[in-house]
Amino acid sequence: MKKTGWFCTYTPVELIHAANSIPYGIRSDSKAEHEDVLLGDSMCSYVRSCMGGALTNSYDDLTGVVIAHSCECMRRLSDGWMFRQEQIKPKLIHILDIPKIVSESSIKFFAGALKRLKKDLEKEYGPISEENILESIEKYKITRNLFSQIEEMRKKTDTPITGIEVESLLNDYFAMPVEVFNEKLKKFIESKKDLKSDANKPRIMIAGGPGNKSLIKTIEESGALCVAENMCTGSRAFAGDYSDETDPFQLLARLYLEKTPCPRMLGDKSRHKTDELPKMINEYKIDGIIYFSMKFCANMQMDWALLKNHTNIDIPMKVIEGDISSEINEREIYSFIKRLKKRKKKNAS
Amino acid sequence: MRPENIVKENTEARKIQLENFLKANGLGDIQPEDAVKMAFMSEYETLSPSAKRGYVNAKQFFNAYNMNTQGEHEYYHVAWRSLFVPTEIMYAMNIIPYTTEMVASQLAMSGASSERIETAEASNFSGDLCSFMKTVAGGVIENIFPTPDILLTSTHICDPSAKYAEIASHLYKRPEFVLDIPYGIYDLYRNIKDKSDEDRIEEAVQYVTEQFYEMIEFVTQNTGLKLDKEKLKQICKWTNEARKYLDEGNNIILYERTSSKKGIKELDYAANLMQTWGTEEIVDVYKSRYEDYKKNQHEQREITVPRIAWFHLRPYFKNQLMSYLDEKIEISGSQVNFVFFDELDPEDPVRSIARRTVMHPAYSSVMARTSIAIEKIPKDTSGIIAYYPKSCRHFHGGAIMENEMFKKSGIPILTIDGDCVDDRGDDFPIVKTRVDRFLKSISK
Repeated sequence: MKKTGWFCTYTPVELIHAANSIPYGIRSDSKAEHEDVLLGDSMCSYVRSCMGGALTNSYDDLTGVVIAHSCECMRRLSDGWMFRQEQIKPKLIHILDIPKIVSESSIKFFAGALKRLKKDLEKEYGPISEENILESIEKYKITRNLFSQIEEMRKKTDTPITGIEVESLLNDYFAMPVEVFNEKLKKFIESKKDLKSDANKPRIMIAGGPGNKSLIKTIEESGALCVAENMCTGSRAFAGDYSDETDPFQLLARLYLEKTPCPRMLGDKSRHKTDELPKMINEYKIDGIIYFSMKFCANMQMDWALLKNHTNIDIPMKVIEGDISSEINEREIYSFIKRLKKRKKKNAS
Repeated sequence: MRPENIVKENTEARKIQLENFLKANGLGDIQPEDAVKMAFMSEYETLSPSAKRGYVNAKQFFNAYNMNTQGEHEYYHVAWRSLFVPTEIMYAMNIIPYTTEMVASQLAMSGASSERIETAEASNFSGDLCSFMKTVAGGVIENIFPTPDILLTSTHICDPSAKYAEIASHLYKRPEFVLDIPYGIYDLYRNIKDKSDEDRIEEAVQYVTEQFYEMIEFVTQNTGLKLDKEKLKQICKWTNEARKYLDEGNNIILYERTSSKKGIKELDYAANLMQTWGTEEIVDVYKSRYEDYKKNQHEQREITVPRIAWFHLRPYFKNQLMSYLDEKIEISGSQVNFVFFDELDPEDPVRSIARRTVMHPAYSSVMARTSIAIEKIPKDTSGIIAYYPKSCRHFHGGAIMENEMFKKSGIPILTIDGDCVDDRGDDFPIVKTRVDRFLKSISK
C-alpha cells in the first residue's frame, strides 16, 4: 500500500487515509540534519532533519508528502522540497495552508484548502468519494476515543501508564495503518486496566515540543512520571471535539482548527491556552512543567516567554532549550525533579 | 474595557512612557515638550525628500505619545501594528499605526537597542529570537512605548512579530485583532493552471475582505471610531499617487541614471514596510524623491563604481559598513522599494486592499519572489548585496536557494549574515573582507 508523508498534526490525515494511502507521520528521526545544505542555520532542527532526510533518500518509500504551512520554518521546508524536487523521490507535493486563527470564516477557508488537497490526492490515488472520507473519519474517531481513555487513566494519581509507553504508542501512530494502531491501543488499555503504580512520583507535564528523544526517558529515569505531553507529538495529536457539521470538509476543518492550540496559533484560540493550562494542571495533578523549547522556533520561544512572564501558574516550571537530537543535561533534569520531590513531600505532610 | 476608560488610562500612561523613552535614549534631562519641538525645528517644505520621510515618521511617532508637532498634548488613538497590516483603513478610521519593527530600528539608530535586547533576554526571551522583536519586548518591559488602544496584527511573513503582539496584548490588557493572510497566493497567481486556481485566489481575496470588515467592526467596538468611507476613497487615491511616484522614481534609478546622491537614504524609504501608505504627506515624499531624481537624470552618465541592487534592510545601528559601501558602490535599487502591487480601486477600496495584501510576493515561495527580482533587475546591474539578519527565518532561511537562482541567471550576489538592530556581533573587518572580495570578483 502506498504511503503519504505528513509533518504537522494540523494535517487531516483522514483525507490521506480516504485516498487509500497510509498516512506516514514524518518524525525527527532522519539522522540527517547535517545533510540539510539548503535551508541554513536559522531553521529549527526538525525541519533540518526533514530536509536532510529528503536529500538523503530517507523518504524514498513514500509516494508523496503533504507539507503544512504551519510556521515560517515549514514554509522554507516546502521551498527546499520543491527546489530540489528532481533529487527527491516522492513526487506528489501538496502545500496545505492552515489558518492561524479560529473563526467561522477561517474554518470555511480551511475547508476549501482541504478540497484542494483531496483533488491533488486524487491525481495520484484515484477518486475519493464522500463515503470514503466519512469511513476514515469514523476510524480516526475510534483512535481519538481510545486515546482519550488513556488520557483519563493518566489523570489518576496511581496511573500505571508511563510517559515512555505513551511516546512509544505515538511513534507507532505515526507509522502504522490506523486499523492496526486501533487494535494496539485496545490491547494496551486492556493490559493496564487493573494495574497501579507508585503515587508518590512527581507528575510532570511536558509542554512545547516536538520533543527530543531522550527527554521523557531522562525525566522518568530521574524518578518522575510524565503524565501529560502538551505538544504536537503528544496529546495534541488527538485533541479536538467532533461537531455536527454535515459536510466532511467543514467537519475536518473545524475539528483540526479548534483543537488544543499549537504555539503557531494566534487570536482568541491562542489566548485561551493560558486559561486551559491551569485547568489541565489541575486535571492531571501536575507537580511541575518542563517546557521543551526548540531552538529557532519563534512560536515556541515566544509562548515560553508568555507562560513564564504573564501567567499565574503556581507550580515550578523549567525551560529546556535544545534541538531534536541535542544532549539533555541529566543533572539539570535531576535537580529539578529532586526539587519537585521535596515540594511534593512537603505538600503531602 | 470601555473605550473612554482606555483613553483615560492611556492619557496618563503615555506621559510616563514618553519620559521613559527619552531616558532610554539618553535624553532624560529634556522636557518631552521641548524634545518634540527640537524634532520639528526645520520647516517641512525646506527638507530633502528623505528628511521629509523622517519628518512624517517622527510626527506619527510623537502623536502616538499624545504629542502634536508643537509639543502640545492631544489624544490620538493608536493601533499597535505588525508589519504588513494595511494602514489605509486605519487612517480612514482616524487611528495612528504604531509599527513596532520601525520603532526597533529607530532605537538602533540612537544606539538604544542592545540594552533593550538584553532586558528581553534576561526576561525569558530566547537569544535566537528575531532581534527586532527582542528590542520591542525589552522596550515593553521597560515601559517606553505608548500603550495602544488596540492591537492589529497580521500573520503576514514574520511569526515572531504576530506572536509578540499576543504577549503585548496580555501585558497592556488591550484587545487584539489578528488578520489571517493565506499563504502562497502569489505563487498560484504566477502559475495559474486552471479555473480552480483562479477560484482559490478569489476565495483568498474574499476571506481577507471579510476579515477587514470584521476588523472595522472590532475597531469601532473598542474605540468608538467609525470608518469614514469617503475618506477611505481619498486615501486610496493618495496611495495610488504615491505608488506612481515611487515607481517612477525607481525606474529612473533602476533603468536610467541620476546623479542625485542616494546611498543609504535610498534604503531607508523601505517603502513596502512603511506605515505611511494612505497619508497625503507620503505622496509628497515620493513626488519630491521622483522630482529630485528626474532633475538630475543623466541617461549616459558614466558610472565608475559597481551598480548594486540592495536586498532587504541595512544595519540601523552605528556601523562602518554602510559608509564604506557608500564610497564603493552605487545603489541602483532597493528590493524593499520595488512596487509589486496594482493600483487600489477607490470605488471598491476594502476588496482592493485585500487583493494587494494576499498578493504580496514576499509571502510566497523563495522561488517566486526571487523570480520577480530577476525579472525586475536591469541587465547592467553589477550584482546584488543581500543583508539578512541571522535570526530571520524568512529571508535568511531562503538565502541559499536564492543565491543559486541568481547565480544561474548570471547575477552575482553576496549575502551578508548580519543583524539590523543588534550590534553585539558586528564585525566590520570580516564583513569588509567579504565585500572587497565580492566587489573585486564582479569587477572582472
